[in-house]
Amino acid sequence: MNVAAVESWIEAPLRRYIDDARARMAVLLHPSGQVMAQAGFTRDMDVMAACALAAAAHATASELGRQLDGRAFRGLHFAGTTRQLFLSALETRRGTYVCLTVFDEASSLGLVRLYFEELRRDLIAAALVAVTPRPTPTLAADFETELNRNLAALFAGPRAEAVIT
Amino acid sequence: MMPSLRDVVDRLSRQRGVRASLIVSENDGLVVDSSLRFGEDGERVAALAASIYRKARLSADAAHLGAVSFLQLDADQGRLCAVGRDDLVLVIVAEPSANVGLIRVELFKALETLA
Repeated sequence: MNVAAVESWIEAPLRRYIDDARARMAVLLHPSGQVMAQAGFTRDMDVMAACALAAAAHATASELGRQLDGRAFRGLHFAGTTRQLFLSALETRRGTYVCLTVFDEASSLGLVRLYFEELRRDLIAAALVAVTPRPTPTLAADFETELNRNLAALFAGPRAEAVIT
Repeated sequence: MMPSLRDVVDRLSRQRGVRASLIVSENDGLVVDSSLRFGEDGERVAALAASIYRKARLSADAAHLGAVSFLQLDADQGRLCAVGRDDLVLVIVAEPSANVGLIRVELFKALETLA
């Protein structure tokens, strides 16, 4: 499966996660919605939509968790008729990331959760030795530029461009 | 009176050489109930055992062999036995020296109680 990452330290752990969990698609993003890596997507527009929706769902679930349980919920699972998704956040030295995983009957929620914990450990370890500059927080004014830069890095083409109105 | 799921896993865990007994959802790979010896990772066993059992069931079906009645996986450090019905899988992790015949009988008895 095609795996692409904006920062190279993410790629190997994400590839291993996709293979082990037998996921169909995954996207790793900043809580702001900035894409960091993707696997299984074929179109930049799909990644943009997935990131925007995942960021919104993560923000909603986190706030619901804080209001109901005093802290953010750790994971969110939706089951469709043929596909399911699992959304969870992880903390590394380089910041918080949200991972959206799409899987079908070839996997299960148990397997995805199991290997997500391994992804969490792998990314924490990889972040400790990553040599790329630590990212600065994306400002609203820079969001579109950053989004386009990341999409171009993932899909390596001039078509990867978002316009935010 | 019908035994509870807790009774079922407790009874299975009392067999000699059994390290863990679990009732697992086959589709989700999640633990429904379990009785684990210290150090056993129930969630890991449940996810992987459900995956293996499901693949065995689908393979047997594809090969026109009928339903899977009993699944046994032998490894250097232990063995895994599983039986299933509907979406539930009964899983046992045992020492390599455990009596599989006895475990098999107990698993089928337990499966009857879940019917």
